[in-house]
Parts: sequence; C-alpha cells; structure tokens
Amino acid sequence: MRQPDNSKAGTQQGDGLAGKELLRVNNLTVRLNSTAGLVHAVEDVSFSVGEGETLGIVGESGSGKSVMARSLMSLLPKRATALRQGSIRLSGREIASLTERELQKLRGPAMAMIFQDPMTALNPVLRLSVQLSEPLQQHLGMNRQQARMRAIELLEAVGIPDAVNRIDQYPHQLSGGMRQRVVIAIALSCNPGLLIADEPTTALDVTVQKQILDLLSTLQRERRMGMLLITHDLGVVASRADNIAVMYAGRLVEIAPARTLFKFMQHPYTEALFNSIPRISDPSHTRLQAIPGRPPQLVKPAPGCAFAPRCPYAQQRCHRERPPMVKADDAGHLHACFYPVIRPVAAGVDPSALMQKRSGQ
Amino acid sequence: MTDMNTERQSDNQKPAQLRERDDIVLRVENLVVNFAVGKQTVQAVSNVSLDVARGETLGLVGESGCGKSTVGRAIMQLPSPTSGEVIFKGQDLTRMSGEQLRQTRTGLQMIFQDPISSLNPRRKVKDIIAEGLHIWRRPNQEARVREVMEAVGLDPDAAADRRPHQFSGGQCQRICIARSLALDPDVLICDEPVSALDVSVQAQILNLLEDMKQRYQLTMVFVAHNLAVVKNISDRVAVMYLGKLCEIGDTEAIYARPAHPYTRALLASIPDIDPDSNLPPDHLPLLQGDLPSPANPPSGCRFRTRCPHAQALCADREPVMQAVPGELTQGSLEQRSGKDHFVACHFPLV
Repeated sequence: MRQPDNSKAGTQQGDGLAGKELLRVNNLTVRLNSTAGLVHAVEDVSFSVGEGETLGIVGESGSGKSVMARSLMSLLPKRATALRQGSIRLSGREIASLTERELQKLRGPAMAMIFQDPMTALNPVLRLSVQLSEPLQQHLGMNRQQARMRAIELLEAVGIPDAVNRIDQYPHQLSGGMRQRVVIAIALSCNPGLLIADEPTTALDVTVQKQILDLLSTLQRERRMGMLLITHDLGVVASRADNIAVMYAGRLVEIAPARTLFKFMQHPYTEALFNSIPRISDPSHTRLQAIPGRPPQLVKPAPGCAFAPRCPYAQQRCHRERPPMVKADDAGHLHACFYPVIRPVAAGVDPSALMQKRSGQ
Repeated sequence: MTDMNTERQSDNQKPAQLRERDDIVLRVENLVVNFAVGKQTVQAVSNVSLDVARGETLGLVGESGCGKSTVGRAIMQLPSPTSGEVIFKGQDLTRMSGEQLRQTRTGLQMIFQDPISSLNPRRKVKDIIAEGLHIWRRPNQEARVREVMEAVGLDPDAAADRRPHQFSGGQCQRICIARSLALDPDVLICDEPVSALDVSVQAQILNLLEDMKQRYQLTMVFVAHNLAVVKNISDRVAVMYLGKLCEIGDTEAIYARPAHPYTRALLASIPDIDPDSNLPPDHLPLLQGDLPSPANPPSGCRFRTRCPHAQALCADREPVMQAVPGELTQGSLEQRSGKDHFVACHFPLV
C-alpha cells in the first residue's frame, strides 16, 4: 500500500490552477446553536476558486455544504450562529469581518447566489420587473427605465422567450424551470465575479436540469465568473466542474481536479459515494454497493475520522485520531485519510485482488 | 407502416402492448383520470394501458406532471379512475363495491415518496406496522411484525417501541416497506420511494426492495423520475409524457435503442458521472422548453411541440402504440419474450 504523504499540506491547494485566484477560504469553521446543542456544521474548510473556474462541492444532506455557502455570503442568521472563524478572501480582500453595510455593497456586484428552490426564492407578490430591477437600481445606479430595459435583456440572456411581456408577470405564472432562469437572471444582473449556486437544479426535472446547467456553463464562460456549484449529485459536477471538493460531516475529505478525482479517488467516502450511484450503463438488477449506516449527527462529533464508523477500511487509528488533509500524488489533489484508496491502475495490479486483500486486513 | 396501424384505435381493439399471458397479475386498460381544475377539466392520465406479469417490476418514468404517480394511485383506486379497467388477478377493481374493494386491495400495497410524513408521528413503529394485521384480525400479529421488521433490517427489540421521529429518512422508508409487506401483498406500488433519500441511503433501499421482491415473490410497479434508478430495478419500463404512454417494453431494449424521441431526449439529459463519457450525448438534440399545460394539450402527438422530428402528420393524428419495427429480428429479445418493445410515434427512431 502506498504510504500517505505525511508532510503537512495544510491549506495549500492547487499548484497548477489556471486563472487568477478569486476566492480563497482558509480554515472556515461555523458552529450553529440548536436545541440539541452546538452543531459543528462546517469545520476547518479551506479551498480556493480561480477566475472563470468552477469548483463543485459534493456532499449528502447534512454535510454542511449549504451552511458553508451561506456563510461565505454572510447570510446565516446572526442569532443562530454561535461561531464563525477563518478567513474568506474575495479578490484579495478579507470579507469575513465586514459590516452588514459593506457586505450589501458586495452582494450583487462581487458575489451572488442562486438558491435551490425557485418556488420560494422569488417574492410571489412582486412582478418580475420589480425583482429584476431592484439590484440594478441599487448597485448600478440605473433609473427605472434603464433598469427595465436591462432586465428585459437579462431575461433574454437566460433564454426566456417573449421577455417583453413576461417581465410584467408574477412568479406563479412561470414554470419551475422558467422561475429558476429568473433567479439566475437576478443573480447575474450586476455581473458578479463569483456565483454561488446552491443545488440550482435539485428541484427541477432532468430535462430542465440539463438546460439550466448548460445555461450556467455558457454564461460563466462568457463572463469569466468563478462558480461554486454545490450539489449532492456527483453526476451534475462530473463534467462541469474544474475541481471537485467532497464534503462529509462538515469537513472537506477530498479535493482534486475533476478528472483526477474520478480516476484516482483517494478517500474511501468518495469511493463509496461513487459506487453507490446506480449507473445507466450497468445492466438491470445490478447489485448496488450501498454505504452501510448513515451520516453522523454533527452535535458533539466523535474524535477521529467522521467516516470511520461506515468505512470498510477503517483501522483503530481512524477512530482515535483525525486524519489531516495531505497531498496526494497529483497536482492539486488533497485528501484526509490515513489509509487512502489504492490505485490499481498505477500499481498495475488487478483491482479485484486488491479489494480482497484490503477486506482481509 | 400500414393503414391499420395508424388508424385511430377503436374501443374494441386491444392495445398492442398488452400481452396474452397467463401470469399477468395486474392489467390496466384504457385508464383515464380527469381532475377538475376550476371550471376546466384536466386529463392527467389519458388512455393508458399496461400490464405487469407475476414477479416482474415495471418502471414508470416521466417528468413531473406527466401523470405517472396518478397511474400508480388510480391502480389503488385512490381515487378511482374516471374510466378504464384495473384488472387485478382477473377482477376489475373499478367495478367493485366498497367492502369487496377493501378486501381485494390487501393484495396491493403502496409506499410513498416522503417516508417521514407517511408515518403517523404519534404511534409506535410496531403499531404502525401491525395496523393492517389488526384491521383484518390476522393471527400471530406480533410474530409477523417481528418477521417483517427483521426482513427490512430493523432490530425489533430496539425499534418496535420507538416513534417515527426517532428514525432517519432511510429507516422510516424501511418502516414503510415493513408496513406494506405485513399483509403479504402480491403487488407493491412504489411511488418515488428513493427520491427523498441521500444517494448512500438510496442504494440501501433499492437493494432492500430487490431482496424483498425475491423473498416475498412481489410484483412491483416502480414510479420514479430518475432513469438510472428505474433501469437498476425494472424488468420493463413504461415512459409517460403529458398523461400518455409513449413507449413501453423490455428495459434493456428501451435503454439501448429508445424508439420514441422523448425517451431518447430523457436519456440524453442524464448527467453522467464519468467526466469523459458525457461528450457524445451532448450533440443529441436537447429538449427545448417546458412541458405544455395538461389542461390544453397539443393536438395529435402530445410531444410534437418539443420534438425535433415533428412533421405535419404529428399534429393531425395521434400515434397509436405499435411494435417497434426491426425489434422482431433482434435475437436477444426473441429469447426473452418475442418482441417486447412498443412505441407510440409516427416516426420512431430505429
């Protein structure tokens, strides 16, 4: 077995990243108050996103990915937030410590967010024209007429037919896919450098999902936006993200360029997640490799690796000691595991034999 | 294409996709479900015919609003369909009296999408699972409850006296499955049973359903929108669009050679988890626009407004379900059941 690289990689990630660094998050930790106790929602998360680059963040529900996204925008309710520490640098500027007033100037022109549910993200009693014009008037100082013209252009840019008439409609007059296009149009209205898309297609049908994801990719390329694409579906990010980060129980467990991750996944959780998905290419009634047990609760997390109780390769050490993020062989590839998944391809051995050897450990 | 094929289906002509077999457990014929929406009537399900043989799993797929869940519920008579027949083991459920229906329906059970809200939060797990047994005054209720709990992977000693809120979504779905199995049904109708679950738990539940199918010789109707999930569990697949059946047949045949442009578009929209293999399907025509309103469906073929191959004929005449041309010569399918692939399209993709 390949020995894990114990040289502390710490928070450094991405040696050969293209584009200027846009967002850098260092050691972000968020704890929330709940009736059950302190929830360790985000623990020591570090990553970076370059200009024009997409970072996919994958995790199951309750893994902390949405809390992390909201925390980047400082959108978490103050009363619920027991602790937020770490650094968030956007284009070199520290934004974690900004006041609400300063943040308001950033939300829109510097960073914007798309939420999961287009049914609730729009105000049901305001016409689209009002909701689209608001950021334009607020941030870009347009007058009502200018904002309306720009809003129509935005609707056309996100592929809404008959935008001139649609703009005076209310959200309930639009289908789910159309509403999500409006939400995207609002997010893009002030030309943000960074777009955070939190499960943008989870509430939509597959056919509409593909339309929306294609639209996001096109707009991103045109505007050279950095994008955080948050999803529970590995399939959504596989072909669209430059880098993919896998989150489990509030921590990043692996981060790598997309192709590297799929070819040389190192963390047992990434592997298990990947193997548990039914494939369209497999014949019917193929037995799925389910992950036993369920994700841990985040109140009073146990010491050691959070995945250890479900991990087929876990050893004594995994239950006692928390594995740090270490560098893997490939550029920009980090993982947090003492006993990373063996690379059958690189080692030139039969993968099934290796699996047997492992399970016999 | 002969004239007879394109002729509008008359009432006494059997739909082509219905099979002449002795082991058909459930047959749905010309099912229509209308809903009143204000003053309008929306035809949520329009003339759907399908059958399920003993031990078979039929996957029912389509976008939201296509009527797939309504078909599942109409089979259970929840509510009774507007017209059409639902033949379960030779008896038509739609013509039964209340008491007779109640008794016959113990042979059909259902599990739902949201496992937490389909369990009564105030009752103990053992009482939830025992309810059907209690209603029908079955003997050895306690033993049966323990048996099905063990079968679905719940520890009876630890779980029986707890209430649903003490369980995760995946475990609640196990409770729902245990409840549905308690009365030893012939047919299990699963309405999006895994779409509210995380992928890691989804695999557990899909495997469990396969195990239960073997153990209790179940016949299943599996309603879902996720095509990969449907492929994994189904022997046959039926694709629905705007209340109509567009394609039905052997799973491998439909996934390998989709004959309806809609099925092909659905397959092309699936995001692939292999970053390299997503490239080829991308130059397939992408489905444009949204589902038209079912209150005012397009004339002729309902898919024609989004179909890349639509022609004048598609607006004039509604396509009738027919055997997919060329499928007859496929050797592998011949061995299975002959020619199990049907499509309702004037210009099938073969």
